[in-house]
Amino acid sequence: MNVIRYLVLTSASVVALSAAADQTEQDLKEQIEILKQRVEALERQQLQISEQNLGAVELAAEREATSDAEEAEEPAIHIGGALRFTTGYREEVDASVGRKGESGLDVFRFNVDGKIDDFLISAEYRFYSYMNVIHHGWVGYEFEDESQVQLGISQVPFGLLPYASHNAWYGVPYYVGLADDYDMGIKYVRSDGPWSTELAFYKNEELNDATNLDRYAFDLVREGEQQNEETNTVNGRVAYTFGKESACETEVGASIEMGQMYNATTDSNGDRYAGAAHMDSRCGRWNFQLQGTTYEYDAKDPVGVDPSVVRVGAFAGSYDIDSDADIVVANVAYNLPSPWRLIDSLTCYNDYSRLNKSIEGVNDSEINTTGCAIGSGPLFTYVDYILAKNMPYFGDGSLAGGGENDWQGRFNINIGYYW
Amino acid sequence: MQAFWAGLILSATGAVASADALNVVSWDGAYVKSQILGYIRDYEQASGNRVNVIQYTGGIDEIRSQSRAWNVSWEVIDLELYDAIRACNEGLLETIDLDDMPAAPDGTPARDDFINHRATPCGVANVASATVISFDPQRFETPPDALEDFFDLDVYPGKRALRKTPQGNMEWALIADGVPRDKVYDVLSTEQGLNRAFAVLNRIKPHVQWWETGQEAIRLLETEQVVMSSAYNGRVGAAIDRGESLDILWDNHVWYYDVWAIVKNGRNPDLALDFIRFASKTESLVKQVKYISYGPMRHSAVAMLDEKVRDRLPTSEAHLKTALELDAVWWSENLDRIQPRFERWLERSIMVPKALPR
Repeated sequence: MNVIRYLVLTSASVVALSAAADQTEQDLKEQIEILKQRVEALERQQLQISEQNLGAVELAAEREATSDAEEAEEPAIHIGGALRFTTGYREEVDASVGRKGESGLDVFRFNVDGKIDDFLISAEYRFYSYMNVIHHGWVGYEFEDESQVQLGISQVPFGLLPYASHNAWYGVPYYVGLADDYDMGIKYVRSDGPWSTELAFYKNEELNDATNLDRYAFDLVREGEQQNEETNTVNGRVAYTFGKESACETEVGASIEMGQMYNATTDSNGDRYAGAAHMDSRCGRWNFQLQGTTYEYDAKDPVGVDPSVVRVGAFAGSYDIDSDADIVVANVAYNLPSPWRLIDSLTCYNDYSRLNKSIEGVNDSEINTTGCAIGSGPLFTYVDYILAKNMPYFGDGSLAGGGENDWQGRFNINIGYYW
Repeated sequence: MQAFWAGLILSATGAVASADALNVVSWDGAYVKSQILGYIRDYEQASGNRVNVIQYTGGIDEIRSQSRAWNVSWEVIDLELYDAIRACNEGLLETIDLDDMPAAPDGTPARDDFINHRATPCGVANVASATVISFDPQRFETPPDALEDFFDLDVYPGKRALRKTPQGNMEWALIADGVPRDKVYDVLSTEQGLNRAFAVLNRIKPHVQWWETGQEAIRLLETEQVVMSSAYNGRVGAAIDRGESLDILWDNHVWYYDVWAIVKNGRNPDLALDFIRFASKTESLVKQVKYISYGPMRHSAVAMLDEKVRDRLPTSEAHLKTALELDAVWWSENLDRIQPRFERWLERSIMVPKALPR
């Protein structure tokens, strides 16, 4: 500050003295006055800078702003997960009725998703109270046209995706292994405007061990006299979306699944196929889903084993399903506007599905779930009332023969924290 | 010798006399055009300084970041009043003395000539504008004639557009739901009132397209992507002048005014003040109205306008009869509370999500 004052005033004095002979006194006075004002302005500015530089508050704020900017950078690999609990009331179970309900850990899971350059990764591992399993895990590559190839345990592209229901208990397709199924193989995914196409080849089920029942998705399992397992499966799914990216999108599509089934007892391969047509219309706040599915397993069982059923397993258990059946799915959901501060989303639904069996003299299986999914920040809660007839996990219900052939109810609340 | 001393003096006084560049931040479209043609070019010519005009869409985050970092490139800024109040309270703006502003042509001091009390010591009012509803009358058998029509999807189906901010929209939602204009801010101050406003907006949310710049609103109307939209009245006026088939619904229009402000810790606050002084002259404001129908915030400027021009302004006697003045002080106190909720509300999906978390 003093240096500035000295230099400018000295210059001004020299100017004033030396130019006296050449200029009028009045001109010089004006110049000096301008210079004085300039010096005062510079002094004021300098003082202000010195004072404000000491502002601890501003420095703190500056640091805060810097750290905010650092936090805003998106990591290439995202680690996430969820912790979910379930509480329910099973009308057909005496202990549940006697205890007026039950509750416990549903799942604790970790997710890894990311992209480094064009290489992708997605994996999920789940911890249940009775088993620990990989849900899915694949590495992939994204091409310039945004199509992807995925290698590993990926979701089988079949029917309504990603799920054939809105509720967390799912419907019939899941329990016969034809929805939210994950197997080991290679999948190619691409979109061309309204068209989406998926092609996949799965060498076998996800664990390469059909005797292991600790798995997330239902597959053929080798248990007891039933010794079949899934091998060499080809999947294709094509869908077209009308009104894509508008307020009313309707996807229609068709899927096919064909593969072999190896029988460990006879050491020979049988065949299996499944086909589905679906419609998924999300129009305004409404969502309507329809799916028709047919499937058939033609196993090379040894003599004496019932060919009308095959055995599937997951969640540390197994049961038989009809080896030749049709499935109907009809779901409806409505996304309610939430006027409440703490409720971010409120989706209510009714999901219905039915297994039309081919086994003579047995009753079809049905399940209907009515409920709402409530989102609030990281919390997501399903509140459901499930009515099931001849469904596994409901009394003696079966997707093959058997079952009480009456509706059994279950009230279910599933609360999860997702990060 | 004489030339030598003259050169020395010139170099010593160079900082005062030489041309400089000033960054002025304003809005877009017809509004910034009216400022450029109204007085920015005149200022450049008169002062020899260059003005770089930068576009923005509101808010004070960037101001905060520049001022706190002492790295100010936005030297002068045209702020909405509530943003100016907030920024001033945070110490991000220089204070401006109205006595530093030029007097009216008849000598009335600036302090007595500016309309309205000063809501902030950091801003100098420039023009009053309004958010109105605009539509193409040719697309309706019976064009909308009341604010309620904007919210009536049965009688007036189709997409409509709103600015992506809570200001103005919350007020409209309550008025459309039957809240008297003079009670809007009392109701909005309560949790129930806020819920009520969001509930009304929920009804039309699936049919709303959101815009951020004034030009986007006009484009949505021109390209018939929406049947009606909120819009700045001046932008609609400019579109009508160039032949667009648009009309203005003045019922319950929300009016407000902007202010000029100087961002703190800039390099040249004197130059910034010099610009504001020029921009705030009565003559500058009058000339601006030639290019946009916004009301000058000086009595002397309003008095110099032709009566026909005055009638087009949001502040005309006829238009003010059904107008709501945006309560900038209220918003400056409540924006931090409502904005995050509004943004969270906006993010909420209308459609059933493709996948719910499992």
